[in-house]
Amino acid sequence: MNKKEKISPPKWALRFFRWFCNPDYVEDIEGDLLERFEKRANEQKSAKWLFVLDVLKLFRPGIIKPVFDGLRLNYYGMFKHNLLISIRSFKRYKTTFLINLLGLSTAFASVFLIHLWVDNERSVDAFNTNDKVLYRAMTHFQLPTKKVTWEYTSGRLAESMLEEYPEVIKSTRVNNKFFIPKGIVTANDRHQEVEGQFADPNIFSVLSYQMIIGDPTKAISDKQSVVISESLAKKLFESAQNAIGQTIQWNCSLFNQGFVVTGVYASPPKNATRQFDLMINYEVLIDADEWADHWKGGYAETYLVLSENTDINAFNKKIAHHIDEKIENDKFTLFLQKYSDRYLFGQFEDGKLVGGRISNVRLFTYIALFIILIAAINFINLSTAQASTKLKEIGVKKAMGSNRKQLVFQFLTESMLMSFLSIVGAIILVYAMLPYFNQLIDQTLSFTLLDNIPTIALTVVGLGLLAGLYPAFYLSSFRPISIMRGKLPSMSGEKWMRQGLVIAQFSLSVIFIIGMLVVNGQLNFIENKPLGYNRTNLLTFEGKGSDRVDPSILIAEIEKIPGVKNATSMAGPFLWGNDNGSGFHWNGDQANRNHLFKSPKIGFNTIETLELKLLAGRSFNRSFNDDRTKIIINESALQMMGLEEPIGFKLKYGDDEYREIIGVVEDFQYGSLHQPIEPLIFRFRGRGENYMVRIDAGAELRVIEEIEKLYNDVYPNFSFESQFLDDEYDQLYVSEQRIGSLSGYFALFAIIISSLGLLGLVTFTTERRIKEIGIRKVLGCSVTKIVLLLSSDFTKLVLLAILIAIPLSYLGVQEWLQNFAYHIDLEWWYFAVGAALALVIAWLIISTKTVKAATMNPVESLKDE
Amino acid sequence: MGKHQLGEFEEVVMLTVAILTDEAYGFAIIEEMEKRLNRKVSIGALQTVLRRLEKKGYLTSEMGEATAVRGGKRKRFFHLTSAGKNILQETKEQRLGLWNAVPEFVVKFSH
Repeated sequence: MNKKEKISPPKWALRFFRWFCNPDYVEDIEGDLLERFEKRANEQKSAKWLFVLDVLKLFRPGIIKPVFDGLRLNYYGMFKHNLLISIRSFKRYKTTFLINLLGLSTAFASVFLIHLWVDNERSVDAFNTNDKVLYRAMTHFQLPTKKVTWEYTSGRLAESMLEEYPEVIKSTRVNNKFFIPKGIVTANDRHQEVEGQFADPNIFSVLSYQMIIGDPTKAISDKQSVVISESLAKKLFESAQNAIGQTIQWNCSLFNQGFVVTGVYASPPKNATRQFDLMINYEVLIDADEWADHWKGGYAETYLVLSENTDINAFNKKIAHHIDEKIENDKFTLFLQKYSDRYLFGQFEDGKLVGGRISNVRLFTYIALFIILIAAINFINLSTAQASTKLKEIGVKKAMGSNRKQLVFQFLTESMLMSFLSIVGAIILVYAMLPYFNQLIDQTLSFTLLDNIPTIALTVVGLGLLAGLYPAFYLSSFRPISIMRGKLPSMSGEKWMRQGLVIAQFSLSVIFIIGMLVVNGQLNFIENKPLGYNRTNLLTFEGKGSDRVDPSILIAEIEKIPGVKNATSMAGPFLWGNDNGSGFHWNGDQANRNHLFKSPKIGFNTIETLELKLLAGRSFNRSFNDDRTKIIINESALQMMGLEEPIGFKLKYGDDEYREIIGVVEDFQYGSLHQPIEPLIFRFRGRGENYMVRIDAGAELRVIEEIEKLYNDVYPNFSFESQFLDDEYDQLYVSEQRIGSLSGYFALFAIIISSLGLLGLVTFTTERRIKEIGIRKVLGCSVTKIVLLLSSDFTKLVLLAILIAIPLSYLGVQEWLQNFAYHIDLEWWYFAVGAALALVIAWLIISTKTVKAATMNPVESLKDE
Repeated sequence: MGKHQLGEFEEVVMLTVAILTDEAYGFAIIEEMEKRLNRKVSIGALQTVLRRLEKKGYLTSEMGEATAVRGGKRKRFFHLTSAGKNILQETKEQRLGLWNAVPEFVVKFSH
């Protein structure tokens, strides 16, 4: 721990103590507990554990408050007896016990894992102490057809909001994510690649970043100061102390200058979306680019602290036109969103919040609930099914004078014990699976038993009640006379219930299977969809540093390397998919000026390197001396403009400029498949430093090595980082891939658990009908007929489950697919395969038991009685 | 009332209360016992005994003033009653009587 924080005793333990303790003693004993805890906390680490131990040791007759005044009941004897009976019944029905244990443990383990993940998602960006009143300024911007939502604002907004609205207590601005200063920092003869942040000096009073050394109020108050993270300080100067007062040289795309270290802060917590190695005054950005402090520039992100009781909806109405007033426009709507909400509720469509990551959080919460439900259903089913074996016991007990309450208590003890044992199993499973789970979701979650004890206790009791209540009340309701006379109480209601539960279980399983199939189908589709360009064997890398380099020299050198087919450069990464531009108009129609075209800026040879298909005209060519006045459009743009003779046509650009169309390319996917293909205009930029090199298959390693050598000559001190475009493309779908594999695993668990339940039920019913089967066989019934007879009941249930599941899953996956602009069609076979799979699984399970029962020698089953 | 015998732990607790005179509250008693007797005492064990002794009339208790430490909780101070003092005295005499009756060589040999 790098900071001495005041630790406090586990709250739940204290609450538990207050609950059971005799009210006369609570105050002074609690004082003793706290005093002892404080003393221990100063000396040793295990103070929390010892505190819990102390509380547990206080849980004894002299201290516990009297339950009934003057009446002391001895429940202990009965409790011991119940435990014994439960353990005996576990031993006697080992299959049932194992099925329950496995099912419940897996279910709990899945739920714990999901809970850990969900908790982690919810904690993102919520680390600020003023989280409740910390907001982020956002804007909706009106396009001709729809509204788009931006989290970046003008650099002037923070100050003007603070001045004009009394509700705003503090405001600060940082650069938006397109202006993150990256580059290389040099100090002590060491070089380090960094990502930084521009910020107003009051940043430390708005966001809760911890300053380790230095005065947070003055740290970046001038343009020569820098604060650096603890880890960067260690890398450059060995320790935070050494860093103070040192000068570092920072070479970044916007500037190259020296700064004095005035403070060291603890690196932002893992669950912060903004991570940065060093921070400098926002004014430096303004010096580099005056638009950073202009109402018409969107270079900043603005964070505001509002006064405690501001009604955010009313305030949003009040500020809606704040920006419009400043720039005499009517297209902006300003609004505030809670800083910590941005991560989970990040998706806006046409000016309305439509969700974001929260939908995954919800999805998995539902999956967790369903899994628990399925496991609980197993337990309920198996316990009620076993009722008949317990009937005699219940009859005898009732005849001996036991009342209903005691019987209910007995069955609840059994279910609680079961629930407790499976939690223990689950905890072991969680510890075993956590590393793999972390790998899967690319996180470092950890499970600490101590913090989770109240949740665990609650789950044990909750599940014990959920699973035990029905059997407990049902079984204890029988009348002793009818039981003892061997007359079974009417089981029809119970049978319905059991069948209903099996149907529910299998419906969920079928839904999970179909969901899994569709998700995987869509992911495959994304992987293999022809995009209109060739993304294999295409190496990309970018130039770094503030010195502008003419890329054509490097490209010419690269093209000489044997094994290189083509090389080019453009401005901005190709897969970004978001380079837009407007201002083009044609046929005298001024309204077209507002149309926002996708408009990436490419260089010579880019079309050839990407292997885009030219439909007409030519691409940018050195020998024609092409420059910014030439453009190439795609098919969609051509259709939109409705030009008969596109080649040579001159679009108007702005008031007095022209752009001549020299070529038309076939439509291709720009960006990820979440975006539809839109009209696109290629602009020309010869000095872009995002390089792309097409390499012959098989020559990759050697060629990359040679390119690295050339790169290091042009960009000294910077490390060469290259990727293949197809890997980057896959990265665009990383969250879908993750959701796909996660839901796959949990669906598998759900299916395994419901299969286990079915297995238990089949085992039980076949055992009960063993005599019937024997007699049938004696009378000449064939094995096949018996198997069919035994399976038909369950088959009907599974079929019914399929009927229920198909429409539900259709709605679910349809909804999910809407997230993609291009998606697979829902074909009937997804549902057919899902249904068939469920049926096959069910039959396999059923047949393991029925075949055995049917082939058994009738002598065995009929020998007694 | 039949004659009551103090248990070993009860005796030790009462003696510690006597040592601490006006400062005998839960945690202080534990500290003192742990220091002098070198044995671990849990709050649960101690509090049970204190309440039992109080019920038997050997101890009285009163709440002190609230302080800023220990979460602002008040302390409960324990005092010996005259019955408590008597039984301590009695126990001591019984023990001494027993000691005196032990032949000297037995004790010596045991060393």
